Amino acid sequence: MEPAAHQAPGGEGTRGIAALSLPARIFVAIAVAVVTVGIAFHVAMVFLQTAPDNTISKRHGELVDSYVYPEFERNWKLFAPNPLQQNVAVHARATVTKRDGSTENTGWVNLSAMDGEAIHGNPAPSHTQQNELRRAWEFYADNHDEKGKPIGLRGRLSEQYIKRIVMRRFGPELNGGSVERIQVRSAVTPVAPPEWSEERAQVKTTYSTQPWWQVTSADLPGGGK
Amino acid sequence: MTDEGRYRGAEGPRARLERWISRGLTRITAQALGPYQTAIVRIGFGAAWFFFLLREWPHRQELYGPDSPWAWGLARQLIETNDAFTVLMWSSSDSWFQLVYVVAMAAAAAVLLGWHTRAATVLFMVGVLSLQNRSVFMGDGGDNIIHLMAIYLVFTRCAQVWSLDARRARRARERHASPEGQWAPGEPSAPGELQQIAGGQETAAGVGGVVLWSAFGAVLLGSTVAGGLSIGWAVFFWALWAVHGLWWAVNRAAVRGGAAVREIRDVCDILANLVHNGVLLVVMIEVCLVYSTAGWYKIQGTRWQDGTAVYYPMNLDYFTPWPELSHLLAGNGVMIFLVTYGTVATQVAFPFTLLNRRAKNVLLTFMIMEHLSIAVLLGLPFFSLAMIAADAVFLPTAFLVWLGRHTGALGGRARGLLPGGGPRAPQPVPEPVAETPKVSAYGPGGQP
Repeated sequence: MEPAAHQAPGGEGTRGIAALSLPARIFVAIAVAVVTVGIAFHVAMVFLQTAPDNTISKRHGELVDSYVYPEFERNWKLFAPNPLQQNVAVHARATVTKRDGSTENTGWVNLSAMDGEAIHGNPAPSHTQQNELRRAWEFYADNHDEKGKPIGLRGRLSEQYIKRIVMRRFGPELNGGSVERIQVRSAVTPVAPPEWSEERAQVKTTYSTQPWWQVTSADLPGGGK
Repeated sequence: MTDEGRYRGAEGPRARLERWISRGLTRITAQALGPYQTAIVRIGFGAAWFFFLLREWPHRQELYGPDSPWAWGLARQLIETNDAFTVLMWSSSDSWFQLVYVVAMAAAAAVLLGWHTRAATVLFMVGVLSLQNRSVFMGDGGDNIIHLMAIYLVFTRCAQVWSLDARRARRARERHASPEGQWAPGEPSAPGELQQIAGGQETAAGVGGVVLWSAFGAVLLGSTVAGGLSIGWAVFFWALWAVHGLWWAVNRAAVRGGAAVREIRDVCDILANLVHNGVLLVVMIEVCLVYSTAGWYKIQGTRWQDGTAVYYPMNLDYFTPWPELSHLLAGNGVMIFLVTYGTVATQVAFPFTLLNRRAKNVLLTFMIMEHLSIAVLLGLPFFSLAMIAADAVFLPTAFLVWLGRHTGALGGRARGLLPGGGPRAPQPVPEPVAETPKVSAYGPGGQP
């Protein structure tokens, strides 16, 4: 690894390694080796995290994960392998208690449509409009089983997150009553195939309704700490 | 010259290999490569994050505040499982959050302008990681690439040109040079001591640098004592802090000191170049990985195969701020097909076009155009700005120099219009240290 002293190209290398004493050159050579190995390792780890599961990443999965997460993760694939082909909307409704003690259920409110309205004609939509509910629902759906039961800590956290998003938008009072409990459902509508294609598909919205959730003070704005 | 004789004559493979290695070593140690490319990446990511935070100013509480829907308590439970770095977990108070948000904005502005850049990039990284890790589910791909680049920028000498640091270094150089009259401003390389100042943007840090460094030391001490940092992060920050202090001290000593001190300084300089060049390579590989993996995954997707993939995002409610425009594009089957296939071809081919400068520039133009259209059509301006900033690492030097000159001229004219602006003092286009034309064509293949 020791750099050859007689090879300094004219002019450029005046401050380069060629002008250094032997101990300094050895030190630099070691540094070059360390940096090279470090970079090779980093690139290998990052590559294995983004690549599909393969022989090497299966064998060293734990090492890759412990190195890459949480700071070097790359978590988006630019619409690959297929772009999302359905509109996922989140609807919510509530049971409210009126002042006279009677209760009633509100109609379903399309919260995603409210996001859509905010995005419409907006050159720079906020993350609160474009990402908040959309990604919260992904998080929720990923961590709940088919019956709407939460899976582990993430399941419980995602449930509380959705509740807090809904309550932030509903507020504690709705339709002249205080909100006692809420229910959410997803409405998934496939994007109709292009008119110019020969493909024909039925565009039907499917709903997945979640259980009723009791609203507590922790779900209201101000109860987050 | 013996070198030349050996070059022409029968040269053994061993000698050739030796020469190749030594040339490569000189290349990666003697200078911080890509001064314009790293500067544009710095400016791009500084701007993307600064303007994002500015845009979200009215929504900052909802995104990252203690009472966000993703409440402080929820974030803490998640972070306990993954140990993500965020100073926002130090306290659930609102004033702490407000302070962090404002400091993150200030750091982004400092990175954008190149003001005490080596320190500013560290603070920038702290700001990016703290806010994003606080509310991971608020982010998208744009946040992700800013997150990665914020870490990488810490290790680069990204303020060699187009920065307040470069301007300060140039002025210091001019002050040094004028009494002797040996060296004219704008000359690319100055001899001896002057060149040492030119070599390190951070050399002429001045009083501001010392104050910043001391303040960082105090904050770091406080947070370490209070147990706010994990062992890994504490070591990382203290090491950076020590290195910055050492660099300053060594530079001061080298001005008057003997050959030994100068050599220590040179070794430090070489190490900084080495790390810069290594991380620059990582950045380039990372950008290639983003595109090639995206391309490879897409090839497996049926919608990319049948040429309709681009149609679908045009019909997603969350990504159509201008539905009329999106539907206009979506209505044209041939156009959708061309964009779909073009995208896959570009992404898969991109890393390999780095072997050919002209092909690379054509594809780079195509990708930047595509990101500009994504910015408008899908309503993702900050994502697009971040991706363009990442792409910019591959822009040719000649183009960047041209861009810098015209932007500078434009700025000068604008300043002339301001009251009291007056004609600008003649400012030479900042010349990078010992840059060769070859640098403009470099790619990952250009380095051993």
